[in-house]
Amino acid sequence: MSDTLAPATVAAARAKTSPGKWIVRAIVLAVLIYAPFVLTSRSIFGIPLSNMQLLNLGLTQINLMLIAMLGALSLNFLTGSAGLISIGHAAFYATGAMTAAIFGTQLGWPFPLVLVCAAIAGALAGILAGLPSLRVRGLYFVLSTLAVHYVVVFLFQEYQFAFFGVVGVPFAQPSIGPIAIDSPIRWYFFLLPLVALVYFGLRNVLATREGRALMAMRDHELAATAMGADVRILRLKAFALSSAIAAVAGALYAHLLTNATSEVFGINFAIQFIAMIIIGGLGSLSGSLLGAAVWLLLPTIITGLTSFAADSTGIVRTVLVDHRPQLVQMIFGLIVIVLLIFAPGGMADLIAKLRAALFGRRHG
Amino acid sequence: MTQNSFTRSNDRSLRPVALSVALTLAAGLTTFSAHAQESPADGVHADRVDWGILMDMSGPTASSQSVWVRGFQDYAAKVNEDGGINGRELNLLVEDNRFDAATDKIAFEKLVGQTPVIAISGMGSSVSQVALADTIKNGKVPVIGTYTPTKALSEPVSPMVYNGFCGYRQQAEAGVGYMVEKLGLENPKVMTVAIETAGGQEYAQFVADAVAKYNGTASSTTMKVTAADVTPQVQQIMSEEPDFITIYGIENTAILTMKTLAQYGLETPAFGITYLGTPSVYAALGAEAGANYNFISCFTPGGADDAEGNAELVAYAAEAGNADLSGNINYVAGWVAGQLAAQALEMAGENPTRESLVAALEGGFTVDSKGLAAPIVFTPEDHTGPQVLKMFSYDYDNSAFTADGDYADYEKYTKPAE
Amino acid sequence: MFAQVLFSGLALGSIYGLVALGFAVVFKATDVFNFAQGMFAVCGAYFAVTAISALDLPFGLAILFMIAACATLGVLAHIFLIQPLAGRSMLAIIMVTIALSIVLRAGIEIFYGPQGRVLTTPLPSGVIRIGDLRISQLHLIAALTSWACMAIFGAFFRFTSVGLLMRATADGHEAALVSGVNVNAMNRLAWAIGAVLAGIGGLFLGQLQIVSPELEAIGLLALPAVVIGGMQSIPGAIIGGLLVGLIAQFAGSYISPKSTDIVIYGLLLLILMVRPWGLLGQRELGRV
Repeated sequence: MSDTLAPATVAAARAKTSPGKWIVRAIVLAVLIYAPFVLTSRSIFGIPLSNMQLLNLGLTQINLMLIAMLGALSLNFLTGSAGLISIGHAAFYATGAMTAAIFGTQLGWPFPLVLVCAAIAGALAGILAGLPSLRVRGLYFVLSTLAVHYVVVFLFQEYQFAFFGVVGVPFAQPSIGPIAIDSPIRWYFFLLPLVALVYFGLRNVLATREGRALMAMRDHELAATAMGADVRILRLKAFALSSAIAAVAGALYAHLLTNATSEVFGINFAIQFIAMIIIGGLGSLSGSLLGAAVWLLLPTIITGLTSFAADSTGIVRTVLVDHRPQLVQMIFGLIVIVLLIFAPGGMADLIAKLRAALFGRRHG
Repeated sequence: MTQNSFTRSNDRSLRPVALSVALTLAAGLTTFSAHAQESPADGVHADRVDWGILMDMSGPTASSQSVWVRGFQDYAAKVNEDGGINGRELNLLVEDNRFDAATDKIAFEKLVGQTPVIAISGMGSSVSQVALADTIKNGKVPVIGTYTPTKALSEPVSPMVYNGFCGYRQQAEAGVGYMVEKLGLENPKVMTVAIETAGGQEYAQFVADAVAKYNGTASSTTMKVTAADVTPQVQQIMSEEPDFITIYGIENTAILTMKTLAQYGLETPAFGITYLGTPSVYAALGAEAGANYNFISCFTPGGADDAEGNAELVAYAAEAGNADLSGNINYVAGWVAGQLAAQALEMAGENPTRESLVAALEGGFTVDSKGLAAPIVFTPEDHTGPQVLKMFSYDYDNSAFTADGDYADYEKYTKPAE
Repeated sequence: MFAQVLFSGLALGSIYGLVALGFAVVFKATDVFNFAQGMFAVCGAYFAVTAISALDLPFGLAILFMIAACATLGVLAHIFLIQPLAGRSMLAIIMVTIALSIVLRAGIEIFYGPQGRVLTTPLPSGVIRIGDLRISQLHLIAALTSWACMAIFGAFFRFTSVGLLMRATADGHEAALVSGVNVNAMNRLAWAIGAVLAGIGGLFLGQLQIVSPELEAIGLLALPAVVIGGMQSIPGAIIGGLLVGLIAQFAGSYISPKSTDIVIYGLLLLILMVRPWGLLGQRELGRV
C-alpha cells in the first residue's frame, strides 16, 4: 500500500510514474468532474437513470462526505503519524463552527478569511487539548480528549444560548469573492479541490524531516529523540495541524447545513470519525477517504436496496419495510464488524490485497 | 461516481477502486434496469401519488416520531382501502433522519429530486427545520403537516408551510390559563421543568409570558436529557413551592419529575406538553404519582371520547395490528396529519402537481378531523394549524384518558388579545 | 437538603458504580474498553421486561432469566467479537464494541417496537421517612443491591479459586498460560460478569424511569467513574461511581443542573493530568 505512512514507500510511489498512469488519471479526473452533473440531472449522457441506478445517492450527500473526509484525514494523520488517538474531533468541528459564527455571522468577515480564523482557532484549541499528551498516552489520552469534547460542546451551547437562542447559530451563504457557493454543484467543486489539497498536503508533511520524526516517534520514542527531535513539541504540532483541519471542516459543515446547534456535535458525531479511520485503515490517508465514504454512503445504499421489498407482505414486510431504518442500522453494524474481523488493515489494506491478488504479477 | 474521488489521489493502489466502481456501476445499470422507470418530477404517477415523510425512525426521538409515522401510514392505508384520492393511491415514502441535521438535509434533497414527492410531512427535528427553512420557503415542495412547530419555518407565513402539531406558545397559554382558573389562583407561582435544550428555554419563556398575564411569577429549572435522578430539581421545587409546574422534555423527564415529587410527598399539580401525554408515561408513573399529572393537547387520544373520528381511529388501529398505539398521542397526531395531507391532495385536483397543490391551499382551508381535534383552520394569514387545546388526565380505574371539558371551552386561553 | 442530596447521590452513584464495576472487570481481564456496556444495561432491562411481561415469570425467576441472558450475551460478545480481534489495536476493539451496540440497539428496536416499555416489578416504591429525610425504597434497594453485588464480586475475586485465577490471568497472560489456566474461559467469565452487572444496573434504571434504548447513556457515565477511580482497580470503579453520583447531585443542587457534565469531566481531566492511574489505581507507566 503505497500511502501507508512510511516515508520510504511514499517516496517509492512518487518515483514510479508511467505514461499509462496519466491516462488513468485523466479519466478519473473527467469522471470526478462529470459525476456531480450526473447526480444532479439524474441522467448520464442524456440517458435517464433511476434512483437505484445512482445507488440512491445525491450530491449533498457527496458534499457531506467530502467534508467528513477532511475530518477523517486529519484524524488519521494524527493517529497514523503521532500515534495519538482523539475522540475530540467533534469538539474541533464545533470550535471551527463557533469561530465561523463569531467572525462570519456576527462580524461579517468574508468567507475565506473566516476559514482562516477557524483554522487558527482550531490549532490553538488543538494545542490546548493536546497538552495532556505531555503526560499521558494511549487510552488515558483518549479519555482526556473525551473530556475536552464535553467542555467544548458546553461552551458552544452557552455561546448559542447567549447570542442566538432556540433556533441555533445561523451561517450566511458563503462566497469566494464574487462567486457565491449556493448550489450543491458549486459546493462540490469547492470541496473537491480542498480535499485533494489536504490529502496531498498531509502526504507531503509526512515526507518532511519532521514528519519522519513523528512517525519514528510513534514507533519508537527513543529513536526519534536520537534524530534530534523534541518529541513533545512535535506531537503538539501534529495535534495543532490536525485540529486546524478539523476546525475548517467544522466551519464548512456548519455553512453547508446553514444552521448549527450544540446538539449537532454530540458524542456520536465524535465517534464517527474513529469509525471512519478504522474502517478505512488506521494510518492510511487514502483509507481515511474510503472510510468516510463507507460511513456516509453505505446506509443510504442499503436503504435503497431494501426499498425493493416495498410490495412484499407478511413477516418480510414487517422486517424490511416497517423496520427498515433499524434494519439498515443493523446491516451497517454487521458490515463494520465483519470488516473489523476479516480486514485487519481496513478497506485500504483489503484493496491493496485484492490488487496484489489480481495484478500482483504485473506490478511485481 | 462518487467513489472515484479517491482515485484523484496519485495513488496507484487505488486504481482497482476505479475499476471496481466502474464494474459496479455497469453491473448496477444492468441489474437495476428492470426497475428503471421514469419518475415524474412531482411524484404523481398514473395510479399513485408519492408523498414524503421525513422523521426520526431510528434515532433518539424515534420512540415518539416513529409512532407518529405509524399513525400517518395507517390513515393513508385506510384512504387507499377506500379507493385512494381522486383515483390515485397515497403512497408514503418515509425517510429516516436519525435526528441528525445532515441526514435530514440529504433526505430532504432526495425527496425533492431523487425520488420526487408532491409534498413532505413530519420534519420532526427542529434543528433541521431551521436549517432547511429558507430552502423550503424558496423551493417548490410544500411541507404540509409538521410534527414540530418552529418559528423559523412558520414565521412569516409561507404558502409552502402548513403546521400540523400543537404550537408551544398555545400549549403554554392554554395550560397555564386552565391551571390558573381550575386552581382559582390570584398571583400564580409557576415553575417550568425542562430539558437543557434551546427548545426548553423557549418553552419556559412562553410559560413566563402566559403567567405574566395573570400577574404571576414564573421560574424554571433544567435537567439533562439523559438524567437518571432529579433530586436537585425537586429540591428546588420544594424550596420555591410553586402553585403548579409544567414539564417540557422527553417521556423520562415527566416520569422522573412526577415520581420524585411523589416520593417527597409533594402533590404539586403538573401538566406536561403534548408529547408527554403517552400511555407509557402514565403506566410508568402508576396511579399515585400519575394522579397529579395532566397534559395539554390539541389531539384527543384514541378511546378518550366517542367522537366519530376517534372511534374510526381506534377501530382501524386494531385492524392494522396497532391497537396498543391508538391511545398514544403521537399516533393520533400522525393520523390527523394524514387527514390534513389527504384533504390537501384532494383539493389539488384530478391531476395534481406541486404547483397546483400549493395554489389550491393558498386561499385557506379547514381540516375536519371528525372530533379528534378542534377544526384545524388555515387562513392565508395563519398556518399555525391546531390551535385549540384541552387538558387531559388518565383515569387509572377505567384505563382511559379523560378530558376536562370541550375544545371550545379552551379557545379563550389562546385567542390573541384584540 | 444536604442529607437528601447526599442520599440521592449515593443511591445514584451505587448504580453507576455497579455498571462501572462491570466495565472495570472486563477492562482488567481483557484490556477492552467496552463501549457497549451501556447497551448491555439496556439489554438487561429489556430481558427483565421480557421475563416479566411476556413470559409471566415470577420476579425471582425473571431476575435469574435476566442474569442468564446477560451472561450469555457477554460470553457471545467475547467469542464472536473480541477473541477474533485478539492482538489488534485498541481502537479496532473499541470500534467493534461500538458496532455491537449499534446492532443491539437495532435488534431491540425491531423486536420490541419503538415505544418505551414499563417495567413492573414487585419492588417497593414507597418512602421511608427519617426526620426530614425522605428515602425512596426503590433507591434504597438499588443502592443495597449494588453494594451486595460489589461485595459478592469483591469476595469472589479475593477468596474463590476461580476469582484468584481470573486475577492472575488479568495480571499476566503469559504466566497464566504457563500454569495451564484456560485464559479464554477466564476472559469469557469476565465478559459474562461485566454484562450481568450492567444488566442489573439497567434493571434498576428501567425501574426508576422507563425502559428504552436511551438508557444507554449510563454507559457513558460509567466511563468517568472508572477513570476517576482507576481503570485497573475494582474498588476504584465502585468509589468512582459513587463519586460521580455524588458530584452530579451536589453540582446539580448547589451550582446548577447544567454544570454537572463540566464538573465531572473537569475532574476527569484533572485526574488525568495529576494522577492518570486514578484514585485507587496502581501506578503503571507507559501503558499504551
